[in-house]
Amino acid sequence: MKIRKLPKDKLDFFASVVQQFGEVHAPVEQDGKYVFKRLSRWSEARLDYPRTILPPKKYFFPPRETLFQFREGEGYLPCTEGLDKRAILFGVHACDIYALNILDQVFSGKYDDPYYQARRKNVAIIGIDCWPDEHCFCRSMRADFVDHGFDLFLGELGDHYLTFVGTALGDDMVLATGPLFQDVSPEDIDEYKRRSSSKRQGFKLDIEIRDLPEIFEMEYRSEIWDELGEKCLSCGSCSMICPTCYCYDVVDDTQLGSREGRRNRSWDSCLFATHALVAGGENFRKSRASRIKYRFYHKQRGFVAEYGRPSCVGCGRCISVCPVKIDITEVINKLRGVQNAPCR
Amino acid sequence: MTSEAEKILIVDDDRDFVEALSAFLEAHNYVVLKAHDGREGLKVAKMQRPDLIIMDIIMNERTEGFFTVQEIRRTVELKTVPIFILSSLYSKVTDFGIPPNSSWLAHDEFMPKPVNMPDLLEKVQRRMEEHHRNPETPVGRKAET
Repeated sequence: MKIRKLPKDKLDFFASVVQQFGEVHAPVEQDGKYVFKRLSRWSEARLDYPRTILPPKKYFFPPRETLFQFREGEGYLPCTEGLDKRAILFGVHACDIYALNILDQVFSGKYDDPYYQARRKNVAIIGIDCWPDEHCFCRSMRADFVDHGFDLFLGELGDHYLTFVGTALGDDMVLATGPLFQDVSPEDIDEYKRRSSSKRQGFKLDIEIRDLPEIFEMEYRSEIWDELGEKCLSCGSCSMICPTCYCYDVVDDTQLGSREGRRNRSWDSCLFATHALVAGGENFRKSRASRIKYRFYHKQRGFVAEYGRPSCVGCGRCISVCPVKIDITEVINKLRGVQNAPCR
Repeated sequence: MTSEAEKILIVDDDRDFVEALSAFLEAHNYVVLKAHDGREGLKVAKMQRPDLIIMDIIMNERTEGFFTVQEIRRTVELKTVPIFILSSLYSKVTDFGIPPNSSWLAHDEFMPKPVNMPDLLEKVQRRMEEHHRNPETPVGRKAET
């Protein structure tokens, strides 16, 4: 991997020049929180943000979209508008990039999703280092560092960014602004290692994920799930903001007597009462306890069996938005019979 | 109007633009040198030692101008020659709210394309006078790369 160094005071000019590769989107502050949106001016960007409300997933798998239209006599008309729009997501955290790598497996594996894939191809990712807050546990989920899934990644180095080049497009971006980038010295590498070690000490939450699928297997009938069911409101907030949740509902939008319509899909949540409702009125997960239990089992156990790792990346969004303060790290530590403890 | 024939090098891959700008500058008594890519620009600059360089950035679908400016600044005999950048990148930079003459490259002026010819001429004349007064330290020179 090619590694260069970019002075922080030249980042603004770098961002303006890379606009030739696509419109630049970055985290901006909105009512005290942060959202990814298109920048009109570089000064809007807030690269020291803790986390955005919605993860970058929204660019590749939007909350609502029309898949195709259908009309009598014309058949199916695919909706491809906007799929080829080139954009750059500037300032994506490692955990969110890790989450996209997980979604790549889901949407580009057994069942190819052309809508997701087209957007993934046309949206570049420039990652950036971050510092953990009280909700982050990405280190526990092995998602505090990524080695692929980005075009460029800006590592923290004091007055500079240690810039990891991940793709040919990333290399083009570096070349386009060549004089801005400098060679990396042995001192820079030492400084990066020192900062990386210091960041590891900054995590306040910790869980152990080795043998977690086995623990889940053994605790299938634990009363913890009933306690959680009593507490959970089934609001679905944790699913809506999760960077790796990918359940969706598909509904045909037609009107009585009409000879045309559209097929829409929108995000769904396994916590919703209708998620496991099937024809005939049978519901496989009627109780809230069964639904929240299912969510935990799918992310921490089922996904490991299917893809070799949990689908949780430890971004902390679900902890920060839950209205009844369900904390995934507390639940897992309770299952393990240990107290939440600062990361060692 | 200049009192002696000063040399201005124009480096731009748009040949029509080079011809139009040359005619304009020659009409104001400057000797114009021409190059159509970065490499040729550097070669002409080393051989002819211009008094000022007008440089495009995006040439041949690459940002050649950045590298050429860097090479010029690394060349001892060209270290202090004033460089004016004329580029369509100007709007990308200023629309993004970034001051066009901040310290991102060792240039002297950054101006938009299409260029306002009288404005360019005024800046060239002023810079020439300043450069003649103090040839070792060009006024307005930005950061070294």
